[in-house]
Amino acid sequence: MATLAMDDIPQFGFSSYTTTTTTTNSTTTSDDDHSGGCNFNAWSPVVNWDAFSTGSQDDFHDLIESMMDDVAVLNPDRVVVGHEDEGSNSAASDSTDVMMVDELNNGDDDDFKGLRLVHLLMAAAEALTGVNKNRDLARVILVRLKELVSPTDGSNMERLAAYYTEGLHGLLEGAGGVHHKSGHLFSNGSHSDNHPMDVLAAFQLLQDMSPYVKFGHFTANQAILEAVAHEKRVHIVDYDIMEGIQWASLMQALVARKDGPPGPHLRITALSRGGSGRRSIGTIQETGRRLTAFSTSIGQPFSFHQCRLDSDETFRPSALKLVRGEALVFNCMLHLPHFSYRSPNSVASFLDGAKTLSPRLITLVEEEMGPIGDTGFVGRFMDSLHHYSAVYDSLEAGFPNQSRARALVERVFLGPRIAGTLARIYRSREEEERDCWGEWLGGAGFKPMSISFANHCQAKLLLGLFNDGYRVEELASNKLVLGWKSRRMLSASLWSSSSDSDF
Amino acid sequence: MERMFPPKKASTMNSHDRPMCVQGDSGLVLTTDPKPRLRWTVELHERFVDAVTQLGGPDKATPKTIMRVMGVKGLTLYHLKSHLQKFRLGKQPHKEFNDHSIKDGMRASGLELQRNTASSSAIIGRNMNEMQMEVQRRLHEQLEVQKHLQLRIEAQGKYMQSILEKACQTLTGENMATGNFKGIGGATQGNTLDMGVMKDFGSLLNFPSFQDLNIYGGDHDDHHQLDLQHNMDRPPLVEGFMPNNENICLGKKKPSSYSGSGKSPLMWNDDLRLQDLGTTPSCLGPQDDPFKGDQIQIAPLSMDRSCNDNIDSSISDIYESKPLLQGDPMGEKKFDASLKLERPSPLRAPLQAERMNPMIKTGTMVQGRSSPFG
Repeated sequence: MATLAMDDIPQFGFSSYTTTTTTTNSTTTSDDDHSGGCNFNAWSPVVNWDAFSTGSQDDFHDLIESMMDDVAVLNPDRVVVGHEDEGSNSAASDSTDVMMVDELNNGDDDDFKGLRLVHLLMAAAEALTGVNKNRDLARVILVRLKELVSPTDGSNMERLAAYYTEGLHGLLEGAGGVHHKSGHLFSNGSHSDNHPMDVLAAFQLLQDMSPYVKFGHFTANQAILEAVAHEKRVHIVDYDIMEGIQWASLMQALVARKDGPPGPHLRITALSRGGSGRRSIGTIQETGRRLTAFSTSIGQPFSFHQCRLDSDETFRPSALKLVRGEALVFNCMLHLPHFSYRSPNSVASFLDGAKTLSPRLITLVEEEMGPIGDTGFVGRFMDSLHHYSAVYDSLEAGFPNQSRARALVERVFLGPRIAGTLARIYRSREEEERDCWGEWLGGAGFKPMSISFANHCQAKLLLGLFNDGYRVEELASNKLVLGWKSRRMLSASLWSSSSDSDF
Repeated sequence: MERMFPPKKASTMNSHDRPMCVQGDSGLVLTTDPKPRLRWTVELHERFVDAVTQLGGPDKATPKTIMRVMGVKGLTLYHLKSHLQKFRLGKQPHKEFNDHSIKDGMRASGLELQRNTASSSAIIGRNMNEMQMEVQRRLHEQLEVQKHLQLRIEAQGKYMQSILEKACQTLTGENMATGNFKGIGGATQGNTLDMGVMKDFGSLLNFPSFQDLNIYGGDHDDHHQLDLQHNMDRPPLVEGFMPNNENICLGKKKPSSYSGSGKSPLMWNDDLRLQDLGTTPSCLGPQDDPFKGDQIQIAPLSMDRSCNDNIDSSISDIYESKPLLQGDPMGEKKFDASLKLERPSPLRAPLQAERMNPMIKTGTMVQGRSSPFG
């Protein structure tokens, strides 16, 4: 990997980062006042603001990141305790909050406000679930937050905080058992409420604004192409085919292969969820028709099938129609920004099925979690906040002047995802439910398949087409990670079943 | 740490007329001139590059710091100064082969690749020939990847468009049913293309011809030429990435409303909606379905097919080439109008990525680094 060796030198990344930051600052001063020299120590008795006042940080995920480190050190309880010290009841602490907030409105530094929002959110999360549970306090903080933020207005952090506030509010109300709006807030990241055209527009925007979707698809596809290079028939079992866009580029690549025998026959089996989910059979059929039409237009021999998941969304290998002589590939796209939530059981059943069927290759794309540390609600809450603030920042960097376009993507995809994530980590806050499927596969005895130079190269070139700040990292020989600044966002890993040792 | 460079190695290097001598303790190869010239062996250069890298790149590194980091006895500031100068000059177009340089389009030059390959530790100890071959191989592979990536992005773009077309058709169908369409060029029902024709159409205009596409752009899309004024400092590299969104079917009725947003009618429309969201209360919320009522007009070209709900025709739409839009005088006008208004802040050099979709042109990219050609 000669040409990639530079990646490992942190200085480059860092220097580029600072350059970027300064340039951004200098060019956006009109809409974004960075007074910069804020003394964070002035107002908070609780939090060590020194951590944040060093260096220029205009990306909130950086701020949150530094806070994440603090979470371990700084007992989150202290946030609550701090409030309670100042008043024996929650009303008093509310007034403290208000005071703090009003005081700060004078300064129009976005960073400043963003930090405060993060802390309010953290305090609310802590009050909701922490040792010193105080639902009233949580409610008061959330009411306050709601006054401060709007999902369509303000800085990244303000809009993001709006979704988190809403999410927390849902948890508060839901858990209180008063009104359990399961259809609304706990929609598991589905975006079915939106107008179909909005969803499509948001999807297109997402693809144009950021490399997330293409990174996942292209890395998987390149691996598939390499794995089936000399096959006559290829059969891909796709866990979540969505609109099928991943396969357009694969077909194109199969057709474009100039050396060797004519391209293979491609068969795709899409798993369909039973029931009336958004990905109903109808939609999958439509995807199939679209893919078929596309394949015809470019002359790729192709057939499309679907395989129903059981009612609990588990996969039965026996339900799959296999043909002898086909090179089998399992494709498992998870957590792409526009995907909806799939239950761990369902994913596990699919990957488990791979053990029985011994596919040539398993391609897995999943979200990267922060470093495993505090696995309680607050810790995971902060990790999620960190993750999505990075998503927001990356989209903003790609589309600085298109706040309305971003708001659409946020409303259609990210907002529901956030609500779903919060609901899940809230429900499972006692258990350890970190679904890192790559680890799971490794643990289940699957064999890592190396990422090729071409694949790595492709990822780098792809990121090069987008704005600065993205990076690709080879975390293991079989795993490429797409990161935004210092945060790992999405990983693609390649596996094969261990029995297939001759490959 | 001192490293020994055996004189043998040095002798494999290109020859000089001057008499050479090797400084025994450090392995430096020097001429016997009064002002001794240093022979930059592969190994020495390697260490030099390592040092420069360590110091944050050729622009940050100074002869003094390099000398400290390299720690090679006998190496003087004088040697380093001139070598660094050359190194910087050579590096000029692309500072280093990392994310950045690729960012300057998919055009990481061979020169750069060569340098960096040369600087990679994997190659230490090989002779020049092997290195050259390795470099060539890598370069070739990268160019291949680059070409493929472009085609793949394009394929996805086409496919995405087919989804959008289909959605448009569905909406059009709904609108037709409710009789909300007025004064739109007659929906020519007999316009169905059968599969055979379609296939020809496809094979003529599309994927096969991708092969001929100049990676570095050219006049893939005439409209883009207009954008060049925004991108003068960057070569038109990613032209090929443009999905032909011009013929997406939704657009608003009043041509004037096209101003201030992107080229793609869909995006115009969307963007307008978004603007509306922000400003006009009457357009807020889900009730503001912009596709309802006579607020919406379907552009004539897609109208032709709006009644063919079959996928064949939608595919043919996908592969429509842009002249169609140019034939549409309104399209031209819109475009002019939008050009003026979308003019990004001159402070920012738009990224190439902008070309991936006309949409992006409405925004400006934050361009972190100064353009290498700026």
